[in-house]
Amino acid sequence: MNRIRRIGLAVAAGALALPALAHHSTAMFDFTKTVEYDATVKEFLWTNPHTWTTVTVTGKNAGEYGLEGMSPNYLARNGWTKRTLKPGDKVTVQVHPLKDGRKGGFMVSAKLADGTLLYNLPHRDTPAAAAAAAQGR
Amino acid sequence: MMKRMTVAVALLASLTACQKSAPPAAAVDPAVEARTTAWAALAKLPDWGGVWEIDWRNSRGSPPRPQMKLTPEAQARLDAFRAAQKKGENLQGDVANCVPPGMPGIMSQPYPIQFLYQPDRIVILTEAYMMYRVVFMDGRPHPEDPDLTFHGHSTGKWEGDTLVIESVGFAAQNRLAPGIGHSDKLKITERIRRVAPEWLEIQTTLDDPEIFTEPYTSTTSYRHLDDELREYVCLENNRDGADSNGRPSMRLE
Repeated sequence: MNRIRRIGLAVAAGALALPALAHHSTAMFDFTKTVEYDATVKEFLWTNPHTWTTVTVTGKNAGEYGLEGMSPNYLARNGWTKRTLKPGDKVTVQVHPLKDGRKGGFMVSAKLADGTLLYNLPHRDTPAAAAAAAQGR
Repeated sequence: MMKRMTVAVALLASLTACQKSAPPAAAVDPAVEARTTAWAALAKLPDWGGVWEIDWRNSRGSPPRPQMKLTPEAQARLDAFRAAQKKGENLQGDVANCVPPGMPGIMSQPYPIQFLYQPDRIVILTEAYMMYRVVFMDGRPHPEDPDLTFHGHSTGKWEGDTLVIESVGFAAQNRLAPGIGHSDKLKITERIRRVAPEWLEIQTTLDDPEIFTEPYTSTTSYRHLDDELREYVCLENNRDGADSNGRPSMRLE
């Protein structure tokens, strides 16, 4: 099942500024739109300047999607490892889609089969933000 | 006779001791001595160990960045830059093609920096783009006609616990902000101080009479991170791009 919705209050409230995208602008992606896909991981590349996840989606928007993510440098400091996503994993990914309509976009978050929700973009619930909040920063 | 014997034994003993211990003083290399003194002096400098990351959430409450006061010529170029953005140009710069931003942009990346002290220089490592800056601390002047480089030519001095760095000689493609270039008169002054155990503060002044009607000063806080720098090779798997007009692209395959 694929669900498309305009950016909701929950996402807007949780999302933080995007300095970590300094490598490039957000111009290719539609940051006003968040698309959710139930998908299967085909490949997860733990590389710079961005991680890259290829997922397979079945059903209405069937196809292979290329998802850019934050760098290992950022993600490793926020709870991810190179083994977080593995080929064959069932995931629900939230994506800011490409503006040009091709199958791809920027990964916002990934929900694993066991229910673990991992944020890719800076979010108030990431470990770094939680630690900062705990110390009253 | 007895007395002479005692003296001889004592002499012998001291000779033997000499042979067993360090070489005689005359063998100390003055260059080694000077180096030892110079490196030991570094221990007295402010401790900026570990790595430092920009306080993006501004939880320390640094003052907001002031408005840049541009010359009419610089303002006209910025207006043209913004007008082109409405046509889909200038949305992305060469950093998307993995060309490092140079100064001052390299100092405000989303990845930490690290300081290395040497007797005659301080090296600033930047995790982003795996770059480094060299700040000469030996009193040398800037070259009269410096080669123009991404990071320029930097000299520094300590004013108490504040490191003051002055840099000149920047490559033409460096940007002070999106749509704001610089002239060959650009001088960047950074005042860096550890204001609290957790905080390093960098006050940056951009001085370029062809761009600003008055020097522009901003303050950035960096948080101490108990971490190490990671590798960052931008061309490892870069799928983003910008053409010469700043139109963005992304490679899916």
